[in-house]
Amino acid sequence: MVDYAVTEQIGTRPRARARETSYLRNLDWVLLAAVGGIVAYGLWVISGITKDDITGDPNYYVVRQAAYALIGVAGMAGMTLIDPSFWRKHYRVVYGVLIFMLVLTPVLGTSVRNTRRWIDLGPFRFQPSEFGKLLLVLFLAAFLAERGKRIYERQTTTAAIGLAAVPMLLVFLQPDFGTAIVYAAIVGAALFIAGTRWSQVSVLLGLGVAIAAFVLWIGPAIGVHVLKDYQRDRIVGFTNPSKDPGGATWNINQSITAVGAGGVDGRGSSGATQTNYNFLPEHATDFVFASTAEQRGFLGVTILLLLFLLVIWRALKVVTLARDAFAAIAAGAIAFALLTQIFINVGMTIGMAPITGIPLPFVSVGGSSMVANLLAIGVLQSICVRRR
Amino acid sequence: MASRPVPIRPGRFLPRDPRVDAPYRLTPQLMFRLGILGFLVLAAFGVLFVRLWSLQVLSGNEFLVAAQDNLSFLETKEALRGPVKDRNGRVLVDNASATAIKVTPAFLPKRGQYAELRRLTRILQVPLSDVTDQIEKHGDDRLAKVIVKEVATESEVRFLAEHRTEFPGMTIEDTSVRRYPHGDLAAHILGYVAEISDRQLEQLNGYKLGDRIGQAGVEASFDKELRGIPGIELVRRDSLGQPKARPETKQLPVPGYGLRLTLDAKLQRAAQQAVIDGINRAQADEKWYAKAGAVVALDPRDGAIRAVASYPTFDPKVFTSRRKGALDFLTNSDVAEASDFPALNRALAGRYPPGSTFKPVTALAAMQEHILSPYDSLPCTGSYTVAKQTFKNWDPGVNQMMTLPTALAQSCDTYFYQVGKEFYDLPPDRGQPLQKWARTFGFGRPTGVDVGPETSGLLPTIKWKQATFTKKTDPCCFEVDRLWKPGDSIQLAIGQNDMLASPLQMARFYALLANGGKLVQPHLVSAIEQGGGSTTGPAQGSLVLRSYRPAAQELNLDPAAIDVIRQGLYEATHSPLGTSSGVFGHFPVPIAGKTGTAEKVIDPGDGMRTEDTAWWCGWGPYESPELVVCAVIENGGFGGEVAAPAALQVFEQYFGKQASSFEVKQAD
Repeated sequence: MVDYAVTEQIGTRPRARARETSYLRNLDWVLLAAVGGIVAYGLWVISGITKDDITGDPNYYVVRQAAYALIGVAGMAGMTLIDPSFWRKHYRVVYGVLIFMLVLTPVLGTSVRNTRRWIDLGPFRFQPSEFGKLLLVLFLAAFLAERGKRIYERQTTTAAIGLAAVPMLLVFLQPDFGTAIVYAAIVGAALFIAGTRWSQVSVLLGLGVAIAAFVLWIGPAIGVHVLKDYQRDRIVGFTNPSKDPGGATWNINQSITAVGAGGVDGRGSSGATQTNYNFLPEHATDFVFASTAEQRGFLGVTILLLLFLLVIWRALKVVTLARDAFAAIAAGAIAFALLTQIFINVGMTIGMAPITGIPLPFVSVGGSSMVANLLAIGVLQSICVRRR
Repeated sequence: MASRPVPIRPGRFLPRDPRVDAPYRLTPQLMFRLGILGFLVLAAFGVLFVRLWSLQVLSGNEFLVAAQDNLSFLETKEALRGPVKDRNGRVLVDNASATAIKVTPAFLPKRGQYAELRRLTRILQVPLSDVTDQIEKHGDDRLAKVIVKEVATESEVRFLAEHRTEFPGMTIEDTSVRRYPHGDLAAHILGYVAEISDRQLEQLNGYKLGDRIGQAGVEASFDKELRGIPGIELVRRDSLGQPKARPETKQLPVPGYGLRLTLDAKLQRAAQQAVIDGINRAQADEKWYAKAGAVVALDPRDGAIRAVASYPTFDPKVFTSRRKGALDFLTNSDVAEASDFPALNRALAGRYPPGSTFKPVTALAAMQEHILSPYDSLPCTGSYTVAKQTFKNWDPGVNQMMTLPTALAQSCDTYFYQVGKEFYDLPPDRGQPLQKWARTFGFGRPTGVDVGPETSGLLPTIKWKQATFTKKTDPCCFEVDRLWKPGDSIQLAIGQNDMLASPLQMARFYALLANGGKLVQPHLVSAIEQGGGSTTGPAQGSLVLRSYRPAAQELNLDPAAIDVIRQGLYEATHSPLGTSSGVFGHFPVPIAGKTGTAEKVIDPGDGMRTEDTAWWCGWGPYESPELVVCAVIENGGFGGEVAAPAALQVFEQYFGKQASSFEVKQAD
């Protein structure tokens, strides 16, 4: 729940103090350290996982990933310098860019396994939907903050959902079911932090459950196929992995085997047969957590998950420090988006969530995801240094 | 919470709240909601931790075993295919051991696999595209091996064994391949073995990707019996996909059953040579389009096929080599056409106008229908005119009255034109008895021989004409062409015009004449046997599991009618004016049979022209028949000139006797 202070008195004092304090001291150093720790841990893990992927160049992926991390860190620093109000003031442009990017993707996109998610930029592949997460957060936060007084009205909620539905649909049609779910989580979190009525929140939750039920079970039964067959198979497959071990659920069984085989202290980078012999598909991207679990064991993944927990906890703390509604909603939505991605990615490798192509933040090989997530941390820092 | 309404200017999209810059307060409500979020976060991580704990700490060992088992593969080991032998136990196909080079797609390096495959295929001298196509075909089944070369040479194997580590994913395996000790002998009947195709995988049950299965001939028709039961081995592999230790046998392969064919290898060889000699004879006679032919020899008592020759043929060895272009005659229609379709088994699947060899069918049908009295004489003249249409006799100079035996012996066309006209003039309520009887005698339908493919031939009927000539297929003249005209019956009587038959159908009918009215079931496999291994020479100690003796069908024909025809066919080979008496007259064993010279329009590429299909069908010995032979030389000219001598060669081999002398005659 966000409220505006009516008196000048309460409003000016914290802002004045913020201006006096140096940016550096106000940076959330714990958050920075946690993110740095995950990135470093991720690079180390990736180096072990991908050493055999390219004959003759064991460091191919690590070097590229490190370069992306450096670009991301620079971007993060840049984002820290930009005042959050900048995004709030130009939220229409933000929305325009978001839609433009996503419309452009299927037009210019490169087709990989029948999906168009990437735009080729010379040596790099750019994945607009990853950056779209941050843009959606910034847009929604601004939109809801600007209509703060009318947040209880049904029209506000409807308008916010309606506007967010456009990028969501575009991503869904790429098709990228996983990222569309993350977008939905962002909308939910933004509305929740902004103060949408409980009655509306519960209606939305109910609606979400109903849509899921329709897409997965009722729709196919009456002949309406919203999801591609492979998407549905994977999602239904995770609920019953042993149904068809050779087909749709092969990935998930191999992944669970990899995680379990890791044991307490892991099988090391050369003993991890599931990863090294390609039983684990996409072991550097979507299934990187399973590879990590196989190579580094329960101890290794515990360290990783605790670092993630620390990042999310600090992000939630940033919400309490935010100087205005926009900043609070943005920080809350970023925190929840991270949680969603982590939970779905980790969950799918251990049979608790459907298999979707969501990367594990800061760890999965992929430039767009790495840079976009670091930019989001930059926004958090920017909010943090301009605290109340 | 202030309740003053915020003024909103109408008409503007998404109006801005004017007081947004105001700082905000951290309200208890927001703290409550943050608390809920925090609880969600803890719950989510808690759930993940619990699940990871249960997977990794509590059941880690079970999954470790599962992961290790992933590296041990249950592989099937193909059973030794059963041998195929001729009726005397001579081995026609058995197995030879070979060394195969295979790759497992899953173990190929992720990058650089094409470089590796290119190098491997260059060493083995096989086309790279073959291998990549196979890998593509295997799709997601990355653990199923792909054969790079089925029979690698000793030096190739030695080189690859030494450089094993440079080819991750490659395996060198002992295997067996089909061996054909007699080269092209009965190649069409034996068929070949090759990797299962996508379509077969869909249609057949009990096979899996990468299986080798019979693709034609007996290998295909009796694949289930020949293939045996594959064994199962547990193989542990290292990271290069190389087997680490001796495979552990889980189930021993059970060798396939053997097949005993009705073929006689020596007679088969003679029949193949007879076709070639027949073609050469036609070529010597300047019949330049004579390039193909077929011979069928069967036992008229039980339908056992003793020899099936079809030329051009091929050496089945090509199927085990991956030599570039070796299989083009099967896969490339241009190459197939240029080499006269060597894969086509003309004896069973060739469709030819039967010409005069069909006359006994007409005669028998006419006598069964009581429209022909065999000893009443009909005029045999140079031509026969009906409804302003003139039909010529092959010999324009003849002019005499003939009985049926003489008409058969001299192959008088005009005699049979009159019989054809009789059939045409029958009242419509009698149907089409000539076709009905021809069908009863096995024409226009498959013979049901146990090794395909075969053709049904074509038996023209009123119904067939109406279905064939429609507005769509024949826009200008279908209304006339679809009618059954007198000429249709007249031409059918001498096996011309639309009528088509395979040599096998024809041989089956002559078997009926030979055995006195029983329609035999032609067959090639006489027994399924166990044991006997792949020994050469006569079979020893093999156990017959199942023998095939398909029953002949008694047609209850008028024995007198058959006798008249038999007499006519004996005169054809023995009376001075008989069409093939010069060929068979001096052969010590009495032979009876009929020549045929069927006109056929062909287009060899330089325009349409009419060529003659040369036929001879008959049996011997005349009184107690043991062998029916049908010979066809495509575009070979007169049946009496090229087909009859080819048939004689088969009889000579069968009876082990030579004709003291023979002369050919340009006779239909």
